[in-house]
Amino acid sequence: MPETNKMICPDCGSEMNYHAEKIDYTAALTDPDAIDLDLGGVLEEVHTCPECGKTGTRKAR
Amino acid sequence: MTTSRPLFIPAILGTPRQGRMSEHVAHFLLGELTKRDGIETVLIDVRTLSFSITDAGEALKDAQFSATIMRADALVLVVPEYNHGYPGLLKHVLDTNLKEYIHKAVGICGVSAGGFGGARVIQNLLPVMRELGLVTIFWDGNFSSIQNLFDANGALLDQTYIKRIDKFIKELVWMAKVLRYGRENVPRE
Repeated sequence: MPETNKMICPDCGSEMNYHAEKIDYTAALTDPDAIDLDLGGVLEEVHTCPECGKTGTRKAR
Repeated sequence: MTTSRPLFIPAILGTPRQGRMSEHVAHFLLGELTKRDGIETVLIDVRTLSFSITDAGEALKDAQFSATIMRADALVLVVPEYNHGYPGLLKHVLDTNLKEYIHKAVGICGVSAGGFGGARVIQNLLPVMRELGLVTIFWDGNFSSIQNLFDANGALLDQTYIKRIDKFIKELVWMAKVLRYGRENVPRE
C-alpha cells in the first residue's frame, strides 16, 4: 500500500491520493527490468492532488 | 472535498475536414457549457494540433494539449460518423495521452447526416474510452440530419436540442464531480 509513501504534488506540495493503477505493456521495450512478470508489464500508480487536481504517475514498488 | 475550483470541461472537435458540420455542434456545446456557473471550458480543435503520423502514443506529446487534458475534470467529444466509424485523426490525437484521462468523465456527441445521430460512432468509441481510463456517461448527444440543424451562421434551428443537451450536461457534471472527489479523496485499496 502506498499510504506510507505518499506522492507529493510537484505543483503545490500537498500529499496526493493514489486512486488507480495501469499496466504499461510497452514499457517492456524501454525498461524491461521494471516489468512485473506476473502482470506482464510495468505497473504504474496514478495519483491526484486534492488541492490543485494535478495528476501524477510513478512505477509501483 | 475541494469545491472551490470550477469544473473544467473541454470540448474536443474530432474532425479536421473542410466543411465540417460538427463545428457548429462544438460551438453550440461550448455555449451551453459556458453559460453554466461553476464550469470552465475551452474548445480543442484537432485541426489545430500538429502530430507526426509516423509515431504513435505517448511518444508524441503536445505540451499544451496534455496540460489541458491533465487539468480537465471531464471531456465532451464532438464526433462525426464517417462510414460508421470515428475520424482516424481523433484516435491519433487521443492516443497521445493516457494518465491524463484516468478516472475522468466523458460524454460523446455523435454527428451524422442521417437519422441516427452518430449512434454508431458513439458505440464504436466506447471501448476506446474505457481503455483510456475515461468513464462514459449514459446520456449521449445525437445530432441527426446535421445539414438541416444549423443555418449558415451556425445558429441552431431545432430548439429541442437545448433541452436534450441540458440533460446531457447535467449528467456529465454529476459524474465529473463524483470522479473528482474520488480521484482526490478515495484511496485505492
